[in-house]
Amino acid sequence: MADNSPKKDITFFHPDLLDISADGQACLKGYRCKSCGQLDFPKLSPCPNCWGEEFEVVPLSKTGRLYSVTDIFIAPAGMATPYSFGYVDLPENLRIFAQLEGPPGSFKCDDEVELTTGTIRMNRDGLPITSYKFKKTN
Amino acid sequence: MKLQREVYIAGVGETKFGKHELNYDALGRIAALQALRDSNINRPNVVQSAYVANATNGLVTGQTVLKDLGMCGHMPIINVESACSAGGMAVHMAIRDVATGFAEVSLGIGCENHTLELQAGTTFKPSISDIEGMQGSVMTGKYALRAQRYMYETGATIEDLAMITVKNRRHATNNPFAWFKGEISVEQVIGSRMVASPLTLQQCCGIADGAGAVVVCSAEMVKKLGIEKPIRVAGTVVQSGPYHNRPRDITGDDITETTSEQLYHESGIGPEDIDIVELHDAFTISELLYYECMGLCAKGEGLKYLRDGNATYGGKCVVSPRGGMLSYGHPIGASGAAQIAANVKQMRGQCPGYQVDPIPRVAVSHVTGGGLAGTEHAACTMHMLVSDW
Ligand SMILES: [Zn+2]
Repeated sequence: MADNSPKKDITFFHPDLLDISADGQACLKGYRCKSCGQLDFPKLSPCPNCWGEEFEVVPLSKTGRLYSVTDIFIAPAGMATPYSFGYVDLPENLRIFAQLEGPPGSFKCDDEVELTTGTIRMNRDGLPITSYKFKKTN
Repeated sequence: MKLQREVYIAGVGETKFGKHELNYDALGRIAALQALRDSNINRPNVVQSAYVANATNGLVTGQTVLKDLGMCGHMPIINVESACSAGGMAVHMAIRDVATGFAEVSLGIGCENHTLELQAGTTFKPSISDIEGMQGSVMTGKYALRAQRYMYETGATIEDLAMITVKNRRHATNNPFAWFKGEISVEQVIGSRMVASPLTLQQCCGIADGAGAVVVCSAEMVKKLGIEKPIRVAGTVVQSGPYHNRPRDITGDDITETTSEQLYHESGIGPEDIDIVELHDAFTISELLYYECMGLCAKGEGLKYLRDGNATYGGKCVVSPRGGMLSYGHPIGASGAAQIAANVKQMRGQCPGYQVDPIPRVAVSHVTGGGLAGTEHAACTMHMLVSDW
């Protein structure tokens, strides 16, 4: 029988992706395969290259280049519109799909952006879910 | 897949697309019955296997569609799901059954009803394991990212994108199966509500209901059934979408490029010989990119190809002659099968008011599917059809 008892929804997405230190510094977590050296984000287990299951956690660069960006006006439940998202290319040869912090219309392709944290959506209980985002570098 | 023996399409059916009070199974039955009668099949025990595509209407959808036709109990019915590629995939599987000799006659159906269940104004819910979905990704937005980069690199404008809608709606003007059709101006397209910049509402396919069905059979059965205008399947390819988490060019589409190349290789027919194409024009930008990905023109020349009139009636290759998804709307499990039905009717000269002239002899259809995180699309299905008579 289905369990219909209420469960608390998440408010952080999610520890495998993002580290926030005690002083509030955020860092994305890359995963380097210990057997073949491939670096991935997000964590893929096993490693899709060699099926290795041991990884070294590598802090990723905090700045990158915005490859493309769009402003969203019609969205799923839990999202306040408008908001922006895009692909951020990091120097580690990784592309991160991320929401952007800043007014829609203020981003363009090839902008330099840096990591930040913030609310990405509301959960089922109506509470904000925190995760990584990117904003324009100052 | 290289076909092991000749496979033909004996008959096709499709419903009008739009908002339907009839549920998916009733729509599927209408299309199936049309396709069966079009194949001169008038009783339930001629078909030996069936594949039924549906994405959102629940479990055992195929049996639900076919039980009232008396087709359950004496053949395998297999339910196919791969989001927007499912309808093409169901027909692909029916073709495989005939190619391998598993069946002499097989049936592929795509059917979907979205509007009875889906609340208007919202999009599909993300799964918590989908990292892009959690970050607020929506399908329109993923295509918008491709559009933004394409515009940034080529200097194309939103007006250029809007021309795709204008063209496809014009194509659909006299097509009784299309939903949104007739004249619309570039200004009306770009002045409609913004969904995901630069894609406005009129650059997005509508959420629709509908069905398509295709009966495939062996050469021997073409004779037995007395099919006068059999359409030969020259190629059918299904691909899964590669996973990416590294920088790459998204003004192309790797899965469409790979699938096209494989289709051309297996059929021995190249892009220069194609008369008509129904492709996955879920959004304006996709049609523009797919001209290039399918090799209808060189990389970077999609816009020129459109502007020169190569993709419309009288051009080199009529793209979306039925009006495409931008006119039909997109019931995601149905579209792939309905495209094939439309192509067959064009090749048989059965499209009064929107018949391509001269009557096309080589037709391609293309559906991608699924917004899986890290892929452009989770699946891609393409078919190459030819008439030999
Ligand atoms: Zn490895």
